Amino acid sequence: MNLESIDFKLFVETDNNPFIIFDSSGHIIYLNNAAEMLLCYVNTKELYDLALTYAPKTFGHKSTIHSLEYESFSFYSLMVGYETDEQIYLRLYNKPLVQTKISISNESLIFTDINTILEANITLFQLESDASISLFVDQELPLFKLDQNYFSIMLRKALSSFINSPSLNVILKLIVGEYILIDDKKHQIIELILKAPKRTIDNDEEINQLANQTHVTLSLKPEMIKFQIPLII
Amino acid sequence: MFYSTSTKVQYITKGLELGKSLFVSSLIIGEANIGKKSLVKSIFPEIPWVDGSDIINLKQTLSKHNELIISNFELYGDYNISDFNGKRIIAISDAASFPSHIDSLFAFIYTMPSLKERPEDIKYLSEIFAKEARSIFMAEDILPLDLTQIDLTYNTRSLKKAIFEHQAYNTITPDKIEQILYNYFEKELGGNNDYAKYLPVFENPLIMAGLDKFGSQLKLSSILGINRNTLRKKIYELGIN
Repeated sequence: MNLESIDFKLFVETDNNPFIIFDSSGHIIYLNNAAEMLLCYVNTKELYDLALTYAPKTFGHKSTIHSLEYESFSFYSLMVGYETDEQIYLRLYNKPLVQTKISISNESLIFTDINTILEANITLFQLESDASISLFVDQELPLFKLDQNYFSIMLRKALSSFINSPSLNVILKLIVGEYILIDDKKHQIIELILKAPKRTIDNDEEINQLANQTHVTLSLKPEMIKFQIPLII
Repeated sequence: MFYSTSTKVQYITKGLELGKSLFVSSLIIGEANIGKKSLVKSIFPEIPWVDGSDIINLKQTLSKHNELIISNFELYGDYNISDFNGKRIIAISDAASFPSHIDSLFAFIYTMPSLKERPEDIKYLSEIFAKEARSIFMAEDILPLDLTQIDLTYNTRSLKKAIFEHQAYNTITPDKIEQILYNYFEKELGGNNDYAKYLPVFENPLIMAGLDKFGSQLKLSSILGINRNTLRKKIYELGIN
């Protein structure tokens, strides 16, 4: 077989695992589509430093099992390699995603003003916490369908993980240009971010389960919880 | 009508008010006699009530109504998540804690502070109770009660009792005192040394009030018209400090 006739670049280009080649100054020489998406959420220098940290001691390639989280991207391993002093490549391996196939049950969904449900939960939070709260919320968001009980329980548990924090930032906005696909139907995204200097992680597993039940994409970080809520109309 | 100036209770009120436009279930917990039922009644006057101890009625009402207030919720042991699906349940309970799975039944769980934790409400409620007491006893204004000395174990119930007692003690006339003592002795007498046994009922308040008012045994003996040594002996016998 003549391997020279195979366009390997096409396979790398369309691979779901991010692949980046840096020059010796840390500038990107090449990146595939997945890496281009990743760079919307993490800066080049951080990835270049990562490559240098996990580079092999001499010319060649080295794989390392290492868990990495960048916003909604999760990786379980990375490979770094170089054949010359001029170029170094980094390849990140996506964590396998467990896809839950929960269909939308219209019976439990009610048209909801998310600002009301958020305000009610913040009121409950203020009963237990002295945190100073900064609100950056879009008051003009449209009503959309939500399982109010489950969503509110999830929000209560998420907020309670910030009870001992001195402050809390709450951001609620409509994301433009991104969609969540449920039952083959595209839905716009409402993003709710809770951010504070510290939080407890005791409720994380339960928050995760509730997020699955309510079709919410969840991102749990040591100082932040982000919900991406489908705008179901 | 429910009224509270406590910041925490105002947060709970706001939360429940916001919940009116949502179809979610809420649980309000806290000690007995702190105003949980009055608060819920003032916010949800139209929703039917059921007592948690009346299981049969509760099950029937749950099957008929989408909105329901359950008082004494801790007595309703047969929790089932399917009973609550698609309903607005407002549950009220005196219990301090619940099994962990209860947590998943309710969107909001409010813990209402006891009266001890709401000094601003103690003052407000004491004025209402004092007004009511003055009306019942047909009395004019009396000396204010030291609210910090009241035992609030049973919250508003303790406060109301203390204020009514204070009002009664301060408006009572000698003939009523005689009537009270008559009823007491009529019930209690029946031993073989009752004169000595019940004499302290008179002497104790007489000497204690006198000592508080005049400060010294010398002055009090003169006021009472008895010998100083007799008074000292009485104080010793009665164990008055």
